[in-house]
Amino acid sequence: MTQRYIKLGLTATVLVLAFAGLMWSTLQDGTEFFKHVDEVMSNPQQWEGKPLQLHGYVVPGSILKRQDTLEYKFKVQNNPARDVSQGHVVEASYTGIVPDTFKDEAEVVLRGKLTTSGFHTDPNGVVAKCPSKYQEKQGAGL
Amino acid sequence: MASLGTFLLLAAFVTCSYAAVISVAGARQRSRRLIESGIGAFYLICAIMTAASAVLINAFMTGDYSIKYVVHYSDSVQPILYKLTSYWGGLDGSIMFWVFLLSIFGSLAVYVNRERHRELIPYVVATISTVQMFFLFLMVVHKNPFTTYLTSAPTEGEGLNPLLQNFYMAIHPPSLYTGFVGMTIPFAFGIAALITGHLDDSWLRAVRRWTMFSWLFLSFGLTLGMIWAYEELGWGGYWAWDPVENAALLPWFTATAFLHSVMVQERRSMLRVWNVTLVIVTFFLTIFGTFMTRSGVVQSVHAFGDDPILARLFIGFMVVILAFSFGLLIWRLPLLKARNELDSWLSREAAFLVNNWVMLFAALFVLFGTMFPTLSEAVTGNRLTVAGAFFNKWMTPVGLILLMLTGVGPLLAWRRSSFANIGPQFLGPVIAGLASAALAIGYYKIPLWPSGLCFALCGFVVGTIGQEFYKGAAIRSRNSGTDLFTAMIGLVGKNKRRYGGYIVHVGIVLICFGFAGNARKLDEQMLLKLGQETKIGKYTIKSNGVKLVDDGQKQMTTAYLAVFVDGKEIDGLYPAQWRYRRHEQEPTTEVAIRRTPAEDLYAVLGGFDLADQSVTLQIVVNPLVNWIWVGFGIMALGTGIALLPERSFAFALAKMPAEAAATTVALLFIVLLSGGTTLSAQQGMGGDENTRTSFYARNPFEKQMQHEIVCTCGACGHQTLAECRKDNCATSHEMRGTLAAMIDQKMDHDQIIQAFIAKYGGEEMLGAPVDKGFSRLAWLFPYLVGATSAIAVGFAAVKWTRHADAPAAAPAPLDSALEERIDDELRDLD
Repeated sequence: MTQRYIKLGLTATVLVLAFAGLMWSTLQDGTEFFKHVDEVMSNPQQWEGKPLQLHGYVVPGSILKRQDTLEYKFKVQNNPARDVSQGHVVEASYTGIVPDTFKDEAEVVLRGKLTTSGFHTDPNGVVAKCPSKYQEKQGAGL
Repeated sequence: MASLGTFLLLAAFVTCSYAAVISVAGARQRSRRLIESGIGAFYLICAIMTAASAVLINAFMTGDYSIKYVVHYSDSVQPILYKLTSYWGGLDGSIMFWVFLLSIFGSLAVYVNRERHRELIPYVVATISTVQMFFLFLMVVHKNPFTTYLTSAPTEGEGLNPLLQNFYMAIHPPSLYTGFVGMTIPFAFGIAALITGHLDDSWLRAVRRWTMFSWLFLSFGLTLGMIWAYEELGWGGYWAWDPVENAALLPWFTATAFLHSVMVQERRSMLRVWNVTLVIVTFFLTIFGTFMTRSGVVQSVHAFGDDPILARLFIGFMVVILAFSFGLLIWRLPLLKARNELDSWLSREAAFLVNNWVMLFAALFVLFGTMFPTLSEAVTGNRLTVAGAFFNKWMTPVGLILLMLTGVGPLLAWRRSSFANIGPQFLGPVIAGLASAALAIGYYKIPLWPSGLCFALCGFVVGTIGQEFYKGAAIRSRNSGTDLFTAMIGLVGKNKRRYGGYIVHVGIVLICFGFAGNARKLDEQMLLKLGQETKIGKYTIKSNGVKLVDDGQKQMTTAYLAVFVDGKEIDGLYPAQWRYRRHEQEPTTEVAIRRTPAEDLYAVLGGFDLADQSVTLQIVVNPLVNWIWVGFGIMALGTGIALLPERSFAFALAKMPAEAAATTVALLFIVLLSGGTTLSAQQGMGGDENTRTSFYARNPFEKQMQHEIVCTCGACGHQTLAECRKDNCATSHEMRGTLAAMIDQKMDHDQIIQAFIAKYGGEEMLGAPVDKGFSRLAWLFPYLVGATSAIAVGFAAVKWTRHADAPAAAPAPLDSALEERIDDELRDLD
């Protein structure tokens, strides 16, 4: 009986260890830090080059698009546009199609990396929430 | 009216508590009268909830804007269908809809089983009533859909989100809820069995069908969600590992595991604790999924916002569920001892066991991945999120292992397989697998990992299933003297669950086949000026500019793209953006898809500039994606066969030869199926009454003309006049009117065409003769299945009448081992 339990225990340990190891190794390149602009920009050196999901709000009037291309430059601030203080502001660049909801004041989450020249957004890395009541109304999906 | 609704909810709550208490009391005192009273109260809940639903639907239909919920989720111009679906458009209504469904299912389950499982019923009633009480409590204290405005009420509603005004989205939530809610029934029976100690296999028999039914709707709901994401959200894919999607996937995994492991218990009396656990976990996950997406615990762009009160209530309820169910389970462990042990790892029960582990692992993994951001924030303080790539990396091997087990399981015998048996059993399927691998990797140059392997396994599984059907049918035809085909129908009829299950597996194979197509997915974004071209895959796409049309309800911007293959124009694509009046901030993308069996060409209009006619496009080539939807169709067919009622079948068998019964049932099923699709096709047109009734063809000629001329509204993706009845299309209405007038003037075909060209300019409005057939084929798939089966059934009917009087040929024991095995399995699996 004890032998059986030892066997069981050993198998379980090996399985758990193997699983944890695999999980750890895949998590290394699978994860991104979810951060607000303030958290990152208060100490930008620390975050440079790390995979980030940057949360903020588009600075009104900052969206620039190069003529006849899909290259965008815009600024993202920490606080919603209606707040008095902007919080930290970061310059961001992106190439590709932006969501319909991406516009001034929109709440955005950008996937990409911070560099010394600003935030480089990955392809398809812009997720934008509509400034209005979008959240409340996305109802039926459960 | 609103106060009536609130009153009904309160009444339902009181009735629930009565039903729960009186049932338990009745069971403990063994009082028939008390138990009956509990059952009566239980039926009453169903009636009350129906009345409450009627009140809410009435409020939507009549536009009672004194009720907040009605204001938030509807407006007066909404088509009737969407007014109806606004019922479950928001959280409050969803919870109410949940209770409504649960009361119906519960009553049905109790009604059906009240004699057969008499000892379980009072506790079933009590369990379901308690669950209902929780949701009713939630509504009464926190999320009452009948809340009214205290001050002046608005005179017009805000309207349902246009993204949700889509046919798939209208039926996706109820389907998912049906699946979720249905899982409560097995849970209630499980708990009842634990409490009463009647832990033989009889409670499993009561819930098997329910689980299958709920599983079907869960799958259906997931598929609809995928179709919706693919067609409406316009990002080129169908699954993104979003928390909301994952929440529905979790119970699907455990329910699938249960459907398999239940067979092991029936055959071998093993895994008894495991089965009870799976039932509990599945139910728990349905609640947990709702909690996860609704309470704001998991942050995602798609999750529905913070609600700490809701979170606390849910957490309380979940703790109670877990503590109570597992407490009971531990208490009853001595009664749940397995009567057999695993004889060999080379047996079917071992394959099922591995399947279960993998399924459970998949569920746990998805749960872990979904909760990871929350967990990491709690542990490290840094919020780490995992991207879809992480899920894909892990779930691809999991999926492939499951696919392989699908093929291996049926080849192994119960108890143990000898190595001598295994060789010939595996030979055919392995050859099939190798052949498809050679085709995929050698000919199509698809990388081995993971798509090539997936194709190989698809071949292997199809080989297994084909072999099972063939061998079974061959033996049956020898024994009964009928031909192979009749024998096959008889075989399915005799053992619906087993062969229905195989058909489900065929569907799964097709779905995996579709997933594997992702290996060759192309996805590009570009900006095209007027007349510019771009190349993607074998296609060249040329922009012919962009047009803006306003139909009064919305502004529609449509890009005109021409598709060339090898220098020949083969089709046009018309992706569009719509801006609804009340929702200018949330434009909806109307994706243009050119479907073929091999691949979809998928175009999204990302942006446009009317001044210089440039368009920003996302073009995606999605190989094999349609096979996912077809695969689901087959899965549904298989589940339908497995679900066919036993008694009606036995009754029919008594009167007719076996094959006739199978034929009848198959026919009935086909009729049901095609009836269902016709209905959905009609609903799919949606639209308001005016457009739907506008100028239906009065004679064949008008019908023909309506099919030849294309609507120029620019929003429907160039549908013909006969088809463009969706939404409020004034253009097609007007064009049909013009057509009708011309026909009244006795103009002939060519004159009408000329007149239309003169009026609308160019040949834009002429029906494009290019192949649009597949898009219809994909959706008309059930019809095709129906038609083929009808032919098959006719063929079989002729055959068996011819053979009816022929003396049964003496069975030739060619392969006695196999025959014994099949016979053995045929006897008692179903």
